[in-house]
Amino acid sequence: MVHISKLPPATQTSMANLETPSFADRPFVAGPALSCRRVAVVSSAGLVRRGERPFVSGDTDFRVIPAETDPGDILMSHVSVNFDRTGFQRDLNVVLPLDRLRTMADNGDIGSIAANHYSFMGATDPRGMQEHARTVAGRLKEDQVNAVLLTPV
Amino acid sequence: MSALSHYLEAEGVPTVAISLIRLHTERIENPRSLWVPFELGRPLGPPRDAGFQLNVMTQALQLLTAENGPVILAEFPDEDPTSVDLPNWAPPFDLAPPEANLVFDAALEKALQHEAAKALAAYEQFVKINGRTTVGLSRMDVEVIIKYVASFPAQTGQPEPPQGVTAVQLLRWAVDDLKAFYLEAMSAGPAIPASRQMQTWFWDRTLAARVIIALRRLLLGWDDKQSQLVGRMNLVPSAQVQRLGLE
Repeated sequence: MVHISKLPPATQTSMANLETPSFADRPFVAGPALSCRRVAVVSSAGLVRRGERPFVSGDTDFRVIPAETDPGDILMSHVSVNFDRTGFQRDLNVVLPLDRLRTMADNGDIGSIAANHYSFMGATDPRGMQEHARTVAGRLKEDQVNAVLLTPV
Repeated sequence: MSALSHYLEAEGVPTVAISLIRLHTERIENPRSLWVPFELGRPLGPPRDAGFQLNVMTQALQLLTAENGPVILAEFPDEDPTSVDLPNWAPPFDLAPPEANLVFDAALEKALQHEAAKALAAYEQFVKINGRTTVGLSRMDVEVIIKYVASFPAQTGQPEPPQGVTAVQLLRWAVDDLKAFYLEAMSAGPAIPASRQMQTWFWDRTLAARVIIALRRLLLGWDDKQSQLVGRMNLVPSAQVQRLGLE
């Protein structure tokens, strides 16, 4: 399943017809060398910590996932059933690659790992996420984060 | 995902996004993206392949230091090696073919409990080896989940949903948990089959899948929009709806 042409026809159609926002500006923020970056992951997989309220259709808010969260306490509550979950079930890093970030930090490839990581849920009008994204940006800056890896599903 | 990238970058936070749907990334033109040729749900590619995932991470994060912005879209060259069907794969437990006729009654709950019991040892083995389970959205154990879904049409003896949660939302989480239970049990062996192999086996061979399909049909016939939405969108993958010829 490499290209959109290999997705099921119904999924192809919904992907092609999905309204996407357009932006007048092109923000592009420079930063230091990768080895000096503090990196956070922001996922759109609808991740929640065990016991938190799962995402429901239309949710545009986010959940905080502290870096030290036990992997066994991270669940996926995305409303869409049209993507693979077996990879995530076998290995959290398929969606939230915190172990890989730790390896990169240990190797000196990145500077450090953020204290907190974040999850939104895709399959929602992204315009509703803008205010929440601003809140996340503020929290990231408080944590001295200067690199974000965004992981979709 | 691409829009989130734009929003964060506009607030002064440098971002790089992994892209699964290149079409959307090209439309939104977010600052930096690494398009990967993996299936939906696997932004880092194959599970339990640290070297492969590190390669994806490295190629993505290195885009943060590229200066040819404001829109950078790179490609990851390698495909997920676990996306290929494994010949003769079968899950580590066997099930009798589900009955053709399905009626929501006490016998159905009993049959579903019996089927889940056959998968239980494999599920427990998976959890032991994997160190985690993704079952848990509904906060019910599997036996209670089965009781819940089997009695859902009658709406009798149902656990009370948490405050602010509708019965249909709780049903969606219970169904997600039930599917996770089966798919994790099916993953207990050492082989990593293609996800579509696992999906085909689950939707063709289990009574659980037949119950979920019946619940989908039920919700589609209800009057309220939330039930119809959950029935149409959140229980059965569109690939299976098409493959099985469901209405």
